[in-house]
Amino acid sequence: MYDDRQPAPGNPDDETPASRSTRAGLEFRSLLDAAVDAIIVIDQRGCVEQFSLSAERVFGYKAEEVVGRNVSMLMPEPYRSEHDGYLERYHETGEARIIGIGREVRAQRKDGTIFPCELAVGQVAEARPPRFIGFIRDITLRKLADERLRRSESELRLAQELANLGNYVIHLDHSEPDYYSPKLHRILDVAAIDDAVPLTTLLRLWVHPSDRERFDEALEELQSTQAAFDVEYRIVRADGTTRHLHHIAQLTRDAEGRPVRHVGTVHDITDRRQTEDDARQLQERLTHFSRLSTMGEMAAGLAHEINQPLSAITMYAQACQRFMRSPNREDADVLEALEQISVQALRAGEVIRRLRNFVKNREVKREPVDCNRLLEDLRTLAETDARLHNVRLRIDDEPDLPTVHADPIQLQQVVLNLVRNAIDAMDDVPETQREVVLSARLLPEGEIEVVVADHGSGLVPEATEHLFNPFFTTKSGGTGLGLAISRSIVRAHGGRLWHTPNERTGARFHFTLPVSPAPRRE
Amino acid sequence: MIKEIRPTVFVVDDDAAVRDSLRMLLKSVGLPVEVFESGQEFLDAERDDRPGCLVLDIRMPGMSGLELQGKLNERHSILPIIFITGHGDVPMAVEAMQAGAVDFIQKPFRDQDLLDRINQALEKDAGSRRMLAERNMIRKRLESLTPREREVLDLVVAGKANKVIAGDLNLSQRTVEIHRARVMEKMEAHSLAHLVRMVLEVERAEE
Repeated sequence: MYDDRQPAPGNPDDETPASRSTRAGLEFRSLLDAAVDAIIVIDQRGCVEQFSLSAERVFGYKAEEVVGRNVSMLMPEPYRSEHDGYLERYHETGEARIIGIGREVRAQRKDGTIFPCELAVGQVAEARPPRFIGFIRDITLRKLADERLRRSESELRLAQELANLGNYVIHLDHSEPDYYSPKLHRILDVAAIDDAVPLTTLLRLWVHPSDRERFDEALEELQSTQAAFDVEYRIVRADGTTRHLHHIAQLTRDAEGRPVRHVGTVHDITDRRQTEDDARQLQERLTHFSRLSTMGEMAAGLAHEINQPLSAITMYAQACQRFMRSPNREDADVLEALEQISVQALRAGEVIRRLRNFVKNREVKREPVDCNRLLEDLRTLAETDARLHNVRLRIDDEPDLPTVHADPIQLQQVVLNLVRNAIDAMDDVPETQREVVLSARLLPEGEIEVVVADHGSGLVPEATEHLFNPFFTTKSGGTGLGLAISRSIVRAHGGRLWHTPNERTGARFHFTLPVSPAPRRE
Repeated sequence: MIKEIRPTVFVVDDDAAVRDSLRMLLKSVGLPVEVFESGQEFLDAERDDRPGCLVLDIRMPGMSGLELQGKLNERHSILPIIFITGHGDVPMAVEAMQAGAVDFIQKPFRDQDLLDRINQALEKDAGSRRMLAERNMIRKRLESLTPREREVLDLVVAGKANKVIAGDLNLSQRTVEIHRARVMEKMEAHSLAHLVRMVLEVERAEE
């Protein structure tokens, strides 16, 4: 055993006066102990000569437990068995596999745990026989951090894959290479995105023509203001397939306000859009079906509505014939009758036009709808039923209501459905009390509220519970779809549909619609 | 005496075009016509005792045609009613006929059909009014009789001979003959049979 505080004997470097030698040894020792890395000195056979304080901390051995023993005790298998072989090969061939190179290896502590470390080995200059000095840095924590980073990157990648989300970073100042995530490549179905065709140029080329204006506007805004880019648009890819993208991007700027980086995410929402489209189409078919069945139920009343102007026309025409035959006729009478004939013919045509509009299967639109006009148009359709049931229909609207952003036919369908329910609810009420009041007003919150009130028997609690369920009906021959569809139409317009008891008796059905908003980006 | 008023066709229909075209049609045949847009408006105008007839839409919001008919019946109006019905209103038309309507006509109709019905209704109204006028006249004559004359009249109409009447009333036969002559004169009766017919006419109406 050697004293670890003494230089090893037989070392030619140490053939100096004893005092000097001791001083140098002490200085070397202090150096070893001050170092952060563990430092181990071994001789040519691999025996440990020096074991620094840091080494004690890292390995858990005291120096005296290690000095004089083979350094391979600090290594796990297979290094432990092979280490002597490494030394021999070096002595024979002089071929350095580690000296001056350094590498990442694994080491073993006293308690048997194995840890990653960086090992750098140097040969002590001019020492004969050769001695080696090893520097060992415990990199457990760094490895852990690396592992975490690697895992979170792969999780991010997986999340992007699952979410159909790609991202990118464009360094506008070219300080670093641009980054485009693998998923982004797959979303766009391109092998590489590079400076030859920059991302924004590529997207501009591919954006669907009807979305291009919105796309360009938002891009322009991104570049000229602080505003974030947040647009849903379609692209047609190189292979001709269409994808729906939700693209969010932001520019970061330097102190002078120059854009430095362009960071963004591109979300492929094609599947979601497809599902939404399917659901919407189904809803539209159902809505149309409900309108047709409403018209079927109203056929008798509608016949009456067309019969009225026809009757009037017949009588005016007959009056004309008699006036013409009369010897002392007055032309004014004839003219008036003729005028009325054309007015009534137009009226009959108008009834048919509204009917056709109402039942036509058509694309759902969103346009500014004048509520006063809507209620007036509705009168034709609703009054039919009112007459049949001897019900007065009163329209009580505020003048000059603002427009709402809606599909006019669907709104008519909602109001007509509510009015017809109100009329049906009053079958058992004396005729003089049968009145439906249809009112529209502007709420302070910027919504239009439409109320349909009746004086019927009101709603029994069992009915209120299921009122909006599809196929729930209290009427013989009803489809039970009216209120369910009405509510879904109102909701699709951003409004609400509910009911309250009317004063004294009957029910009030309310719905709200937001007043036409500023044009919205989709 | 009652001043002769020309019979008028009253039209009640809530549909402005139908109402106005009816007005034109009736004007073209020279019939006086007045139009109303609701049953209430017609009731308020108090036309129900005028000579004429009523052309009434059976379906109206608020007061329906049938309700107006009921109200006129309550007022003992004799105005004949022609109902205008739409397609599929047969049950209501039946109800209207049972409540005393003279006729109904389904829209759309030929003008001559309506005018024929209106003429029939006006004739019926004129007949009813003549009868009412006659009854009123008889009543007035009856009211001009003294109590004793009325007693004698009732017994004469009952078919009793002068002698029996004298016995019943404890009068001389001569006195009965004088009363009877006064009755015939006041009642403007041409014969005993005429007198009996007049009294029965009034009594039947008052039953």
